[in-house]
Amino acid sequence: MTDPELIEGILRRDRNAFQYLVNQYQKPVIKTACYFVGSMEDAEDLSQEIFLEIIRSINSFKNNSSLSTWIYRITINKSLNMARKQQRHGIMLRVESLFGHRQGQKEGFSHEPSTCLSDLDEKEKRKLLHEAIGRLPENQRIAFVLCKFDDQSYKQIAEIMKIGLPAVESLIHRARLNLQKYLTPQFSEYKTS
Amino acid sequence: MDCKHFRNNIFAYQEGLLSAEDLRLAENHLLSCKACEKILADVRVVDEMIHVEKTLEPAPFTSTRILQRIDNEFSETRKPPVITLVRILQPVTLALALVCGILIGSYTARKDSPPAKQASNSTEKLEFLRANLFITDFADEDKNPVTNK
Repeated sequence: MTDPELIEGILRRDRNAFQYLVNQYQKPVIKTACYFVGSMEDAEDLSQEIFLEIIRSINSFKNNSSLSTWIYRITINKSLNMARKQQRHGIMLRVESLFGHRQGQKEGFSHEPSTCLSDLDEKEKRKLLHEAIGRLPENQRIAFVLCKFDDQSYKQIAEIMKIGLPAVESLIHRARLNLQKYLTPQFSEYKTS
Repeated sequence: MDCKHFRNNIFAYQEGLLSAEDLRLAENHLLSCKACEKILADVRVVDEMIHVEKTLEPAPFTSTRILQRIDNEFSETRKPPVITLVRILQPVTLALALVCGILIGSYTARKDSPPAKQASNSTEKLEFLRANLFITDFADEDKNPVTNK
């Protein structure tokens, strides 16, 4: 099914078109959302909202970009909104814990600088990676996730983010550098030495 | 290649983006510098973490759940206009029927009662005239006015 056929089908509210849309874009949508909302479960729940939004707003799709670029934009916007909500909720919880009972749990980035990455198990490594990605500034996070996890080309990232190619390169480089610093704190020491 | 140059290009080196000449220089530097080798090991650990993360897949049946949600949403959005229309039409029809009933009732009442009153009025007047003017065969004259002439 070509993009125009798919769009036509969605406009007609054709179930086959819905099925094709979900089968085609389910993985990239969930995987992209996952690095903004922090967990696969939340990303799977959010993906339902993302697909509903795609179907509802298909009328506003203009052929200035490809359908996948447009879908990525919706995915990123929705994911960032949810991430911001989670952040606000996290702040509220921290405020509550300040005034209420302290649970003794350390909120936020939990990586001890002394911990060596290779000593951690896969689950802990994943958690750390997600936390580190969550600490990246939004633009760096978008560019990095699209490049490293969705295998999008710099040109596609530039289209999705509506920025130039040099800006994409710079964002990805800075994101990589920051991620390395968050995950291996000694990295910044090496860099300055 | 010195340490600073190598460290500035460490990601390009790891991702194989260096030119052939730079790659040769970087590898020569790595052979003689333990500190840069250690940094590269850290970069590789993070790269490995990213690679492992990339292989994760969404849970099975996720697409079924998404499609079910789409079906529910769009069957719901199709239903409301019908439901809303029924909800609006029911009381409106009832109100209209009530108003029609009242109108028909009052119209029928008006139509039936005044002529009856008029008739009774005229009969009363006739009786009054008969009694007061002592016209007994008034009705007969009325019936055949031409024959009297």
